[in-house]
Amino acid sequence: MEAVNPYYSIPVKIKKIIPETSNITTFILDGMPIQFEAGQFAELTVPGVGEAPFTPSSSPHGDDLEFTIMKVGRVTSALFELKEGDQVGVRGPFGKPYPLKEFKGKEIFIVGGGVGFAPLRSLFLALLHNIKDYKKIYIRYGARTPNDIVYKHLIPEWEKIDGVDILLTVDVGDDSWQGKVGVVTVILDEIPVDVASSPAIVCGPPLMMKFVTQRLVEAGFKHSNIYLSMEKNMSCGIGKCNHCRVGKFYVCKDGPVLTWEDVKDIEEPFL
Amino acid sequence: MKLYLLPSDKILDFVAKLSEDGLVFYPVSEDDKTHLVKFDKDKEFEPDFEKVRTAENIKHFLFPSRAVVAKFPKDTAVKAKKQYLFGIKNCDLRGVDIYDRVFLNAEPVDPLYKKKRENTILISADCPEPEDCCFCNLVGLNPYAEAVCDLNFTKIDSGLLFEAFTKKGEKIIDDNSALFKEATKEDEKERSRIRKNAVKKLNKINEKPFKEDLAERLEKVDEKFKHEIREDCVECFACLHACPTCYCFLLSDYKKGKEFERVRTWDVCYYAAYARVGGGANPRSSLDERFWNRFLCKFDYFKAYEGIYSCSGCGRCYRGCSAKIDIREILWKL
Ligand SMILES: Cc1cc2nc3c(=O)[nH]c(=O)nc-3n(C[C@H](O)[C@H](O)[C@H](O)COP(=O)(O)OP(=O)(O)OC[C@H]3O[C@@H](n4cnc5c(N)ncnc54)[C@H](O)[C@@H]3O)c2cc1C
Ligand code: SF4
Ligand code: SF4
Ligand code: SF4
Ligand code: FES
Repeated sequence: MEAVNPYYSIPVKIKKIIPETSNITTFILDGMPIQFEAGQFAELTVPGVGEAPFTPSSSPHGDDLEFTIMKVGRVTSALFELKEGDQVGVRGPFGKPYPLKEFKGKEIFIVGGGVGFAPLRSLFLALLHNIKDYKKIYIRYGARTPNDIVYKHLIPEWEKIDGVDILLTVDVGDDSWQGKVGVVTVILDEIPVDVASSPAIVCGPPLMMKFVTQRLVEAGFKHSNIYLSMEKNMSCGIGKCNHCRVGKFYVCKDGPVLTWEDVKDIEEPFL
Repeated sequence: MKLYLLPSDKILDFVAKLSEDGLVFYPVSEDDKTHLVKFDKDKEFEPDFEKVRTAENIKHFLFPSRAVVAKFPKDTAVKAKKQYLFGIKNCDLRGVDIYDRVFLNAEPVDPLYKKKRENTILISADCPEPEDCCFCNLVGLNPYAEAVCDLNFTKIDSGLLFEAFTKKGEKIIDDNSALFKEATKEDEKERSRIRKNAVKKLNKINEKPFKEDLAERLEKVDEKFKHEIREDCVECFACLHACPTCYCFLLSDYKKGKEFERVRTWDVCYYAAYARVGGGANPRSSLDERFWNRFLCKFDYFKAYEGIYSCSGCGRCYRGCSAKIDIREILWKL
């Protein structure tokens, strides 16, 4: 029998494009070309241009696969040129999912920064799917300005859900902003969960990851309970090309989420 | 273990017979080096089975420097021609061993590699005369094959003394039994003599073994050491392109009309952009770090995953290096 080709991307159409901020957009694809679990990622292809790794931002139980993407370079710029109805390719899922079984019965502490909310949204929606399984879900999210907040229209709905507690902050406020101002650590002064048992899940830009991790360690979270999304250069996504290796870990295979316990001995793990 | 003798006057017949079934590549000498060339029954056949490995690394035959690995939107099945690699050396088998582990044994299987591997017959030859660049003995190998190949042979006075390692190999001997003779005790003794002599030579070239705790030592080196050992490096990347055990690659997409092809090319960790992420941050921005990554990759991490070094001791990196950097010397210093 021919082996399934792990380099082949499944063609799929873009169903809807939702701009979130000036440089972040959510792309809703038509259907679920791959079955993933929260935390796993996929390689998204712009035909003829190339591919890049992204973690879905939609629920694993949803009907359509979504990605929320920041425009930073070659592939993402080409993606932002595409229109609804255009074709892209998807390859995956890759990596390990969040260990939701271990989260059962616990308070879940989620910390995001910038476009790092994308994979966390998928996790959040997966948790909501069985919300009774968890004691309470906390979300702490920071963006540069109020305009840089992703999922602006969804957050008010989420805040209404019983068992969900959301706090936002922006680095720089504006006239309309009534919430907290300051980097994300300002909403981590108070940590209302039982740090001895709760998992903390973090995703955001490198510097934010570094400071948040420091704060969580200080607050007393177990190192093995701090889950960190590692952004590394990737090519194959399947543990062969070597690009994503950090220390002994392949981020595409052992990650993309690693715990602080895993990476704390690595020099500059977030760089 | 059963040995079969292919008398000297039957070697050409044997190779010609194999070439009816697929391409046969065998080593020929030119100046001081050998190269693998394609057998052509209309051309002179002057193989050199006694020199060390070829100058070029043999990964081209299983893992080409550029290959289409997928098409879009509709994929097509991969193809590979049958090929016999006749007279390659044990260090190159280490390369194949490493590729097998990465592309065949670890899920998911790489379809192109699988196809090529299934269509490749490995017929290795002993190295009677190791050279100063050789250090297979330091990475756990002998200068003759003990695994991975389908057939191995030792050049003795009266011909080539074969041993089969796989069913494929046995079948080749069976199919050509008219050309072979049963080996004598004397033939076997000659082989032992040749091998002992080669091992002795190697041990003399490389008297010091690598330390048992090499991995720990590699992780402990300081910035100064990392800088000093690479000071002469001119970033020509010859060491990595010539290496039969490096397997890093990059996928890129190219338009072809309305469709596109996904192309896999060799990549090397010494490139500045190798680890750079979207937006430009780079965890290995200094050459010191990149240079050292190769040592961690080969002598620490791969060993941790697979129990062997991802280095064959072939010495091609040293031979090809503009700065004559010898990784042995660096590892001995630890
Ligand atoms: C597991 C994972 C999940 C992620 N999830 C998200 C997410 O949900 N949302 C999001 O916005 N981002 C996410 N990212 C980050 C995202 O993958 C990067 O922003 C994206 O790869 C940038 O691609 P680019 O081509 O636009 O950027 P560029 O900066 O152009 O390139 C990115 C990398 O490709 C290399 N490269 C670019 N062009 C070439 C070329 N021509 N030849 C060779 N190399 C080249 C660069 O060296 C760089 O290493 C995730 C990353 C990872 C690892
Ligand atoms: S590192 Fe050098 S000696 Fe080792 S396999 Fe590669 S080329 Fe050969
Ligand atoms: S990481 Fe470097 S040393 Fe290791 S296989 Fe890749 S190119 Fe070779
Ligand atoms: S061959 Fe020598 S000079 Fe060239 S990159 Fe390798 S170590 Fe540096
Ligand atoms: S992306 Fe290729 S090994 Fe991880």
